[in-house]
Amino acid sequence: MVWFSLRCVLSRNHLCGRTLFRTLSAVNTASTAMSFEWPWQYNFPPFFTLQPNVDTRQKQLAAWCSLVLSYCRHHKLYTVDVMEVQESPVFNNKKIERKLSVEAIQVVFEELRKKGNLEWLDKNKSRCLVMWRRPEEWGKLIYQWVSKNGMNNSVFTLYELSNGDDTGGEEFHGLEDWMLQRSLQALQTEGKAEIITMDDGKGVKFF
Amino acid sequence: MHRRGVGAGAIAKKKLAEAKYKERGTVLAEDQIVQMSKQLETFKSNLEEFASKHKQEIRKNPQFRVQFQEMCATIGVDPLASGKGFWSEMLGVGDFYYELGVQIIEVCLALKHRNGGLITLDELHQRVLKGRGKYAQDVSQDDLVRAIKKLKVMGSGFGMIPVGGSYLVQSVPAELNMDHTVVLQLAEKKGYVTVSEIKGSLKWEKERACHVLDHLLKEGLAWLDSQAGGEAQYWLPALFSELTSRDVTPEEANQMTP
Repeated sequence: MVWFSLRCVLSRNHLCGRTLFRTLSAVNTASTAMSFEWPWQYNFPPFFTLQPNVDTRQKQLAAWCSLVLSYCRHHKLYTVDVMEVQESPVFNNKKIERKLSVEAIQVVFEELRKKGNLEWLDKNKSRCLVMWRRPEEWGKLIYQWVSKNGMNNSVFTLYELSNGDDTGGEEFHGLEDWMLQRSLQALQTEGKAEIITMDDGKGVKFF
Repeated sequence: MHRRGVGAGAIAKKKLAEAKYKERGTVLAEDQIVQMSKQLETFKSNLEEFASKHKQEIRKNPQFRVQFQEMCATIGVDPLASGKGFWSEMLGVGDFYYELGVQIIEVCLALKHRNGGLITLDELHQRVLKGRGKYAQDVSQDDLVRAIKKLKVMGSGFGMIPVGGSYLVQSVPAELNMDHTVVLQLAEKKGYVTVSEIKGSLKWEKERACHVLDHLLKEGLAWLDSQAGGEAQYWLPALFSELTSRDVTPEEANQMTP
């Protein structure tokens, strides 16, 4: 029933979904900004200087990777623009007047890439996808929800999954399209779902 | 008649007299020793009785414990000297310090990745108390110092560096000589130190200052801050007050290198 009535919206869903998500994102940022807990390193001035000692640097980078991922998770950020993010509180602590240089940010991002949590969108490394949860993990969450609600063998549009009323309380609600597709692809590989092409876009059938 | 008194006979007599005096002296000295031993025995058994009566107090009350230990020290008894033996059996005092030592090691190990193996006595005290919970015996800084001294004796790499009226407890055998120690003491005030400050306060040459700072960086005890707006600052996590009250989060725990 829901599927049918949403068909007319599907043609615009791409743009619609994105705008809706961006607004949600802004609201999220405002309301959750207060409750994000910074790790002790964040207020430690040297944390913003790439450490010369190799062992210390390793600890530092590990802490930065952790911080970037938790920050993105908290604010539901999936795409990051390097120039923009330099001014974001995560890399720029105004209180102690320290910021991470662009070179250092690139080093941190390279670490994240090596760990499989980041993907560059362009050759110039100006924009990237941050995967604070990997596609397989998202796929698992989605499949759990499907099973729990006895909806195996049902078909969903991608929009329904990420923005439908039924998924309102779920963690994958608001998931960006590119990540949703990858998650479903992961499930497909596991034989738990099949991505199908419909008139106005893609959908998925769960087994 | 000869009045010489210096004949074989006289010498023999003299020798006999001397021997008798010596014997007397020995007897006297022996007497004294026996007396003193008896007194000491009485003293010791009184102390033991005291300890037995006040066992609970000794275990529960840190100030009482200090005084008791000082009393023991007066008669040359160290309740902690051996793990086994009368004192530790009767009081369980030996166990108490042994267990405390284990706790101290645990706290230091858990935080080593943050502070490089250097921690203030205050922070150590806070965390040990926290780890013990509400119903455990109270532990004073004096107790910690004694436990650490024991650990030191066992050759576990522990050491104590006097800074700013208290101590920095070193739990990894990083080679710290007098130069390093003195710079640590200088850094205690603000939690960081610069080459200029070292040159100014300690009247050292630049090379000597840099050498020490490089060593602290190498040992993971200090981090470099190059955005201070003047010269580089060398910060010590162990002295970073904001850090001392923070627990180790699950994220941090995952980062700790094995």
